[in-house]
Amino acid sequence: MSVVIEKRCSSLSELDAIASELLEQCKDKRLFALFGPMGAGKTTFTQAICRQLGVIDQVSSPTFAIINEYRTAGGDAVYHFDFYRIKIIEEAMDIGYEQYFFSGSYCFIEWPEKIEELLPEGCVNVHIEETINENERIIRYSLNPE
Amino acid sequence: MVYILGIESSCDDTAAAITGDTKILANIIANQEVHKNFGGVVPEWASRAHQQNIIPVVETAIRQANINKNEITAIAFTRGPGLLGSLLVGTSFAKAFALGLGIPLIEVDHMQAHVLAHFIQKGPNTKKLPSFPFLCLTVSGGHSQIVLVKDYFEMEVIGRTIDDAAGEAFDKAAKIMGLPYPGGPVIDQLAKEGNHLAYTFAVPNIKDLDYSFSGLKTSFLYFLRDQLKLDSSFIEKNKADLSASIQHAIVTSLIKKVKFAAKQTGIREIAVSGGVSANSYLQKKLTEAGTEENWNVYIPEFSFTTDNAGMIAVAGYFKYCKGEFAKQDAVPYSRSH
Repeated sequence: MSVVIEKRCSSLSELDAIASELLEQCKDKRLFALFGPMGAGKTTFTQAICRQLGVIDQVSSPTFAIINEYRTAGGDAVYHFDFYRIKIIEEAMDIGYEQYFFSGSYCFIEWPEKIEELLPEGCVNVHIEETINENERIIRYSLNPE
Repeated sequence: MVYILGIESSCDDTAAAITGDTKILANIIANQEVHKNFGGVVPEWASRAHQQNIIPVVETAIRQANINKNEITAIAFTRGPGLLGSLLVGTSFAKAFALGLGIPLIEVDHMQAHVLAHFIQKGPNTKKLPSFPFLCLTVSGGHSQIVLVKDYFEMEVIGRTIDDAAGEAFDKAAKIMGLPYPGGPVIDQLAKEGNHLAYTFAVPNIKDLDYSFSGLKTSFLYFLRDQLKLDSSFIEKNKADLSASIQHAIVTSLIKKVKFAAKQTGIREIAVSGGVSANSYLQKKLTEAGTEENWNVYIPEFSFTTDNAGMIAVAGYFKYCKGEFAKQDAVPYSRSH
């Protein structure tokens, strides 16, 4: 049975606490797939998570680069993916996605829909939903006991 | 004459170029035409595509430069930043070819090369070059930064995007309007028929010399969503005005920070590079700002703005002059440093 955690975020200032809780709840997880339409705040949420992880680099959108690599103050690598531009699954394979997904480093994946069949088991699916209120988001993820 | 073969494979495109000193002799990007001569079609993407492209583009560049491969003085390759799998193809090829020819190998940083593209000469050496120190606005699909250029290889990034790149803002605005990819050139064209003051899209004020385009994308998205509820053909009817207005917002933001940077540093030599520098409204506004602020403005030729190997070759030339060579154990890097 999985436990669904749902958070209502009504301002940017609440995001860091939600990010911190996500990391705490998923302590043993390294792969996070971020689902949500354009403008939902996938990159913004990744920025908040990376702040919690102590990333020292500028966290920006990897839409063009496909993969951004950051370092934490402690020297750990953090990978930030965006599969928005991917047209066929082979493109993700060509990149050598396994090297990253199974590296033991944190991976945050935007537009995971494009490569859903490649997402390993144990990947945390985070859904960011818009509400009628422009500045409000629902952030939802489930904890699956394994 | 120093002949440099430049190899670029950091992202989508595989490219090869030959320079004779700083003069461009061939600047080739893999496309259908290059492959036709090799009896194939251009493959889709990524590292496998680079594998298929690399020999044809290099052969084509050498042939077009009208030199013999034994005349090449050194080989320059993009070591990073970029996609590791893609970079590996260019890096490995450059090493093998340099070893085979018994000539030096030179590593080039892709972002530095975008700036050094300004020193590529096309015809006789008459082009006016930026003098050090100068400011370079590097704007592309993946980058938006203001670089303080003190010397050929002494550069400092003094402003950068904190979320989306300017080129990405263009592409995503186009996507929202249902226009084809890449959206930048399409918006540029449509905007020529539109009123840039028809709609106001605010660009957030970010501290210092940094940029932010993510909020602009979202406000554009919400604005259109609301308008479409009232009139389902809103985009179709107004795409010229919408294009002009969003372009105005992006370009205004880009220029505002360049003005700040110029004031802060007291530098009046202003250059622009990267794919977005081909945008005609950015060129127009930058030129206008140059007249107002008494700047010398440098805009490179289109073929040297997007990812290309000409800039890698010319950067390689300046390293060759310094005697700075790479070793055979050089490995690509994915992130800027």
